[in-house]
Amino acid sequence: MLLGQLLLGLINGSFYALLSLGLAVILGLLNIINFAHGSLYMMGAFAAWLLLNYLGVGYWPALLLAPVIVGLFGMLLERTLVRRVYKMEHLYGLLLTLGLSMVLDGVFLNLFSAVGRPYEIPKIMQGVWRLGFMALPIYRAYVIAASIFICGAVWLLIERTKMGSYLRAATENPALVGAFGVNVPRMVTLTFGFGTALAAFAGVLAAPIYQVSPLMGGNIIMVVFAIVVIGGMGSLIGSIVTGFTLGVLEGLTKAFYPAASNLVVFVVMALVLLVKPAGLFGTAPSLASQVANTDPDSRPVISGKARDYFWPFCVMVAILVAAPFLLYPAFLLKALCYALFAVALNLLLGFAGLGSFGHAMFLGTAGYITGYTARYWGWSPELAVLAGVAVSMLLGLAVGALSVRHRKIYFAMITLAFGELVYFFFMQAPFSGGEDGLQAVPRGKLFGMLSLDNDRVFYFVVLAIFLAGFLVAFRAVHSPFGHVLKAIRENEPRAISLGYNTGRVKLLAFVLSAAISGLAGALKVLVFNIASLPDVFHSTSGDVILMVLIGGAGTIFGPVIGAFGLVGMQQYLAPLGSWVNVIQGVVFVLCVLAFRQGVIGQVGRMIRRPL
Amino acid sequence: MTPTVDFVLETQGLTKVFGGFTAVSNVDLRVARGSIHALIGPNGAGKTTCFHMLTRFVAPTRGSIHFNGRDITKVGPAEIARRGIARSFQISATFPHLTALENVRIALQGKLGWTYLFWKSERALDALNPTAEELLAAVGLSDFRETMAVDLSYGRKRALEIATTLALDPELLLLDEPMAGLGREDVGTIAALIRKVSANRTILMVEHNIKVVAELCDRITVLRRGEIIAEGAYDVVSRDPEVVRAYLGTGHV
Repeated sequence: MLLGQLLLGLINGSFYALLSLGLAVILGLLNIINFAHGSLYMMGAFAAWLLLNYLGVGYWPALLLAPVIVGLFGMLLERTLVRRVYKMEHLYGLLLTLGLSMVLDGVFLNLFSAVGRPYEIPKIMQGVWRLGFMALPIYRAYVIAASIFICGAVWLLIERTKMGSYLRAATENPALVGAFGVNVPRMVTLTFGFGTALAAFAGVLAAPIYQVSPLMGGNIIMVVFAIVVIGGMGSLIGSIVTGFTLGVLEGLTKAFYPAASNLVVFVVMALVLLVKPAGLFGTAPSLASQVANTDPDSRPVISGKARDYFWPFCVMVAILVAAPFLLYPAFLLKALCYALFAVALNLLLGFAGLGSFGHAMFLGTAGYITGYTARYWGWSPELAVLAGVAVSMLLGLAVGALSVRHRKIYFAMITLAFGELVYFFFMQAPFSGGEDGLQAVPRGKLFGMLSLDNDRVFYFVVLAIFLAGFLVAFRAVHSPFGHVLKAIRENEPRAISLGYNTGRVKLLAFVLSAAISGLAGALKVLVFNIASLPDVFHSTSGDVILMVLIGGAGTIFGPVIGAFGLVGMQQYLAPLGSWVNVIQGVVFVLCVLAFRQGVIGQVGRMIRRPL
Repeated sequence: MTPTVDFVLETQGLTKVFGGFTAVSNVDLRVARGSIHALIGPNGAGKTTCFHMLTRFVAPTRGSIHFNGRDITKVGPAEIARRGIARSFQISATFPHLTALENVRIALQGKLGWTYLFWKSERALDALNPTAEELLAAVGLSDFRETMAVDLSYGRKRALEIATTLALDPELLLLDEPMAGLGREDVGTIAALIRKVSANRTILMVEHNIKVVAELCDRITVLRRGEIIAEGAYDVVSRDPEVVRAYLGTGHV
């Protein structure tokens, strides 16, 4: 039993190592965290499966062919899409690849459904070695050996060969390497292709062990992110060692305390961040290395003083007051909750330049707390909501303290991983109702007097709370604190050199955002009478980022428009089924590549006024 | 008996090793209070690394830094700024999408202690406008107060950065190549400004423009390959054979 779990852990570790290595290779050279890495791994497995079932190409040729095919596809992605974001803020690289992963996963999900497909172990690898103390399936032994071999070879290639030294030099100074006669853009394309080929190779190795399914990438990639953080971001050797170690640790946890096996990697990540923020094998970059010319390419939306927004605000309030007489209150209630959530994220994404990719943890946590206190302790709605917000803030304080000091791309990865930790926590926790969620949460009576069961009455209560949250965020942006926040977004090393404790400023922004997100989540639970897992899931974190992007990050009204737009789209496109996810992914990619100002940002530019 | 000099900044054995490369080696730098002190040397001599260590943008490998007699070797970069050492950067470090006025106000705002007041109206910051405008006027940017920093010309960006740094009213001002990339006219303006603001503070500057250094600076420290090779007034240093060799190569001596 123990040995079995250990073996399984080692197998998982093999895939963690291969995937985080590919991620680290791309990260090192391109400074992009490739969110689509899991999708490319999944595509590797599917390439092998398709080759076998449609062309009769067996495992061994596929082991070579699938990485080549997916690698070429990766190079195509790099040439056509990823290349366009190099000169932008690093955040856009994350957003683009996140959008790509939504498209890729969505397309495969629609073509092949979520059903896992078996892939037969190659003939000569079938069977088991009897070792006396345990039975070792030959294929599994081979996977571990192959993974170790490939990881070692890649490490040698990059650390010990001339090509590798060019690669590393190009990371530091692309212009100089270009002057040596190296074609840097081609090298970048090849590196991206190589990283994706590694992912695809892992996919083929995985096909006979796990089932081939469109979901396999999404499931593993979060763990891989956590491993990259633990290993030390960008460290190749860190990725390899941590990948195997954490795989084994996960296996051991499965043997001794199964309930925590999904959580253990993320808990280790939190502990490592606490003790050694740069990761086990990483070194913290000095502040000097972050002093750089600020990129003139990304031009934020027009912004103004607080009073410039007065009339647009009146228009928004008028529309929202009139809306329930024209549209379904249920739709409006949902959209209002998401609008508040998007406003909260915009505080970070738009005004602090911090892309939190795990924000659903605040929405969901507050929801569960509100739901539980209202349902089981009989708390009145206002108290239950307050409790949800308070816990969400505490969570924000803890997660923020461990993440805000990191550079932006790592911040994204860390928040995403913490989101996953919280998700698994609520999946396992005894009080949260597991897959069913916390049902039949009562809306109760506000202050013990006003019944909220009537949707229209409830709508106006929610609207009032929404406006309060909106105004808190608005004031925060237009306060002395907000000015410092914007300065940090613009040029953090400079803000530090002017004496600002930027870590603490960002932490306050994070906690504020967590509080408002929590408020949105608490309301949402009262709206739908249920707190459930989708509210803490990473797809919800992706949704809210998209809302902010569509509306316009850094605008005041953009997140509200974006939320109504996306909720409306999900509602009206519902007949299309899971193609909605693909459409959403495409919108994501388009927003990043061609529409970074968002709807409101564009309109504001056209009418030359801040919105 | 030599009179005791009051040193505002003193380093002892300041050393920085990157990997196997020693960028700065055993630098003992002493900057007299009220002086304009230049740090010069050929490219790669370690001048900027010294600046980075003095402001803790880079942690020293060895050595100590004392400011006003107190050890600040381990003090964080933001705290160093609050204690009175402000710096500028070699590349223009502005807040690109804030206006020139807002750039300067950010520096002024720190002292008010309002950094975390997210409920306070931004209008309160208008009280800083007169001071900010004075600073902008001092660097010739009065006409650009509402212009975003990103839209300013290179020379004006440098001027804005100096105004922002001055807004901290630092006791010790570190200027990293303030003249780099400036036209001749701007050099004159900035030099005059540096002289003006040196009245009640100490200035340590890295500068390649020797003419400016000769005109402005009371004392010059010459670095080569991370080590101090000469120190003194311009007349002394410029005649030092070591210095001549460092700049011109051995062939000329």
